[in-house]
Amino acid sequence: MAAAIAIHSVTKTYHRGGESLRVLDDLELQMEAGTFYALMGPSGSGKTTLLNLVGGLDHADAGRVVVGDTDLTSLDGSELARWRAAHVGFVFQGFNLLPVLTARENVELPLLLAPLSKAQRREQAERALALVGLGDRMDHKPRELSGGQEQRVAIARAIATDPQVILADEPTGDLDRTTADAVLDLLQRLNRELNKTILMVTHDPQAAGFADQVIHLDKGKLGRIDRNERPAGARRV
Amino acid sequence: MPWKLLLRNVLGHRLRSALTVLSVAVAVFLICVLHAVTSGLARTLDASAANRLLVQSAVSLYVDLPLSYQQKMAAVPGIEAICKWQWFGGRYEQDKGGFFAQFGIDADTFLRSYPEMSIAAGRYEDFAGQRTACIVGQQLADKYGWRVGQTVPITGTIFTRTDGRPWEFTVQAIYQSRSPSFDEQQMFFHYDYLHESLQQGGAVGPDGVGVYMLRLGPGTDPLAVQQAVDAMFENGPQRVQTTTEAEFNRQFITMLGDVPALLRMVGGAVLFAIFFAVLNTMIMAGRERTRDLGVLKALGFTDATAAGLLVGEALLLCGLGAALGGLLGLAIERPMQAVTAAFLPGFGFDGSTLLLGAGIALAVGVISGLVPGLRAARLTTVQALREVG
Ligand SMILES: Nc1ncnc2c1ncn2[C@@H]1O[C@H](COP(=O)(O)OP(=O)(O)O)[C@@H](O)[C@H]1O
Ligand SMILES: [Mg+2]
Repeated sequence: MAAAIAIHSVTKTYHRGGESLRVLDDLELQMEAGTFYALMGPSGSGKTTLLNLVGGLDHADAGRVVVGDTDLTSLDGSELARWRAAHVGFVFQGFNLLPVLTARENVELPLLLAPLSKAQRREQAERALALVGLGDRMDHKPRELSGGQEQRVAIARAIATDPQVILADEPTGDLDRTTADAVLDLLQRLNRELNKTILMVTHDPQAAGFADQVIHLDKGKLGRIDRNERPAGARRV
Repeated sequence: MPWKLLLRNVLGHRLRSALTVLSVAVAVFLICVLHAVTSGLARTLDASAANRLLVQSAVSLYVDLPLSYQQKMAAVPGIEAICKWQWFGGRYEQDKGGFFAQFGIDADTFLRSYPEMSIAAGRYEDFAGQRTACIVGQQLADKYGWRVGQTVPITGTIFTRTDGRPWEFTVQAIYQSRSPSFDEQQMFFHYDYLHESLQQGGAVGPDGVGVYMLRLGPGTDPLAVQQAVDAMFENGPQRVQTTTEAEFNRQFITMLGDVPALLRMVGGAVLFAIFFAVLNTMIMAGRERTRDLGVLKALGFTDATAAGLLVGEALLLCGLGAALGGLLGLAIERPMQAVTAAFLPGFGFDGSTLLLGAGIALAVGVISGLVPGLRAARLTTVQALREVG
């Protein structure tokens, strides 16, 4: 399979008050399309930094980041924004839904940037919400939903524009075990049924168990990559 | 532009939004009223007649001129009529706290010289023919419920009667005015009645003339007459100052100090206060939305949209406030006119007043929205999400 995400000798250094911290050090990594990756590593090992580079939210100091057939290193700020709107969906640890909007309106938000009519936006948002099992909660505000439901709305928002890549930064970090498993199961289904490429940061080994491959990162360097067995349906809750 | 989000953000903080809208409304209302006052002053001056000159003592308006000057001035070419004005300064018995002006005038030249006056009740001839009669403005008559034929007692403060009783004037006519420079809250009686009373010992007080009004014939150069009259009394006994009616009114208004400048200062202070109130609201809003704005950018919204959300919100708050303040102003325009008619007949809102209100709302909205807006534009998703943890 073609590489969906390619990281070529990427370096990222943060400077703070005279000190400089090399978070990613000449990193080399390829990820295949349609695969579910978990990214593990100790706190501060550069996982979020790597995710932000792949999502076009930040620039590398050196090296190239290629997602699909786009070299992100060659894009400026507004080109990156346009690229993000169409090609990538984000899921955050803190859900990050807009509190003043309903579930449906939150999911419709990224669709405002696509050339769609009002009716099409609505229909597409409703389809995404139905897919995550929240067809009956569309008019609820985030504070009227449970944490697991909020995260499922956030996942619906991430897939609303039908991007190829989904980036999730500790999506189950704020959830209890049962709820977390339901969310992980949902991500797994998006990967298997819709063939999404997923890169998920986690430090929970059980969560990593839902992925096809587990990438270990340590002090900005690539560690080993584990391949999980994929017994069909074994992980269904 | 996610309009729905903009609207929900405003509605999300109902109390804060309402308070901001209200304070903008009060500020715009105040500024509009102040502007209506200053433009009212300007209108009063603009409406002054070009063919009337006023002669007063060169020393001060409080110093009287000799009665003999009238004869001498009558010889100056171009003067069609002369009318004396003597400030009476009396107090109406029933008046509680209120005040209106009374003047002794020359009945034979008065009405002809002030064509903006028209007689609404009674007859001017009846006034002219009766020594103790008076003519009063419509608003004054309405205020005290005076009717034609009624006798009004006025206690003199400058001119007191020797019998210790108040002066009595019989209302024989009521006038209306078409000009903002001539108000309907004045009382006029016969100068001759006052003069004779002083001569015959029925009253005591200064026996002179406060101001002579000179009405010019068509085609007369006011400057020539002005110079001729001033020159005539150059060597005393009393030097005079001849001015156009507009100039006279301007001096009269500025006797209280530079009112327009004072009002502009107050208006500026109000504007300053409201700017900081709205700015404070918007900076708070910008801070609270840091995470939301970061998420919007992650979704692919541009920096301009992030800034636009805050500028739009500020404009919406200011626009609503200005509309409310403007409506409030329009609602009080008529009652205010009734109150201010005596000293500020030109008071009123016009296009420029409302334009000023709208301009202030626009400027305050744009600037106070841009301050957090520019920060929002510079903010990156990475910073935004790390900042809130
Ligand atoms: N903007 C920044 N400025 C300075 N240091 C930063 C900044 N962002 C992250 N870091 C540091 O870089 C390191 C890696 O951060 P991060 O990628 O968030 O790690 P992880 O997600 O693996 O916990 C941490 O030590 C963090 O403190
Ligand atoms: Mg992290």
